[in-house]
Amino acid sequence: MAELLSHVLIAYALATAASWHYEWLTKRWVAIAMIGALLPDINRIGLFVTDATLESALGVPFDLNAVHTLGGVVLLAVVGAMVVDTHHRRTFGVLLAGALSHLLVDGLKVYADGAAGAWLYPLTWYRHPTPSLYVSADPAVLAVAGLAALLVWLRDRTRPKPETDQ
Amino acid sequence: MRLAVRLAIVALSLTALLGLCVHYGATYDDNWPHPTGDQLRDDYDAYAGERVLLIGDVQAVDGDTLEVHITDSADRTAADLEVHAPDTTVDSGGTVQVYGVLEADQTVTTADVVVVNPDSHALYYKLGVSVVGVLLAIGYLFRHWRIDPRTLALEPRPTDTTNDG
Repeated sequence: MAELLSHVLIAYALATAASWHYEWLTKRWVAIAMIGALLPDINRIGLFVTDATLESALGVPFDLNAVHTLGGVVLLAVVGAMVVDTHHRRTFGVLLAGALSHLLVDGLKVYADGAAGAWLYPLTWYRHPTPSLYVSADPAVLAVAGLAALLVWLRDRTRPKPETDQ
Repeated sequence: MRLAVRLAIVALSLTALLGLCVHYGATYDDNWPHPTGDQLRDDYDAYAGERVLLIGDVQAVDGDTLEVHITDSADRTAADLEVHAPDTTVDSGGTVQVYGVLEADQTVTTADVVVVNPDSHALYYKLGVSVVGVLLAIGYLFRHWRIDPRTLALEPRPTDTTNDG
């Protein structure tokens, strides 16, 4: 996976560009999309506790990488939607959109056998072909994401603003 | 939505997520087309002669040969493989994907080696930049939202602070 700053900047750029077409998609919802882009990498808890340790504690097989899948982010988006006081469905949708941007970008990275990770789980274990555009430590990913976010930010500042932000 | 209902939905969702992690862990080995570190650790010979994709840390570099350390789910050694990888630029401490035929003598006849992290610094780069990403997202969130202590929920900040953000 790419590092999280790139994912957050990509979510910002996509959500801000979408906001030019959808009046309700204001900056506060762009912020929610950016949080959504973080959700798949909650599996990075694995840096601090191994799956084997969790399996020993629970007594059943366990793999945190389920979080980094379609099913994982849908459930996390439901949890996130309960953190706001209103607009639960909208929050769910925007969180999920941010998380999907993360999973889709990860689906473009290099796998030496030419197929991406099985991120469509639990719908399917299918691994789609990957164009192998990048490896996660490549600073060019951040450069491209940063440039895209900068261009969108500049365009956003120069376009006519709505009166209110709801 | 009442706090009790929200908490119930959160509990249900987290329980479902726990179940998803259990199911994923129980079925991963059967559905991933390559042996995992646990499988290599338990029965290396069963996979000798197979084309495999493995991800491991580079322990040593000797000319065109890499010593690649494969770990299991507990981060213990599953296999130490010798990989011939000409034209690959990676240092000890880096991470590589190795795709090729696993041989019985702990070597891989390589079809392709992809350098994921060229050295140990690349991992720190990813972690450091990721922390910046997390802080940026949380900072942007709280520029537009705030916590209502009465409902224990996020609520939008007044509109006059969001229009220029």
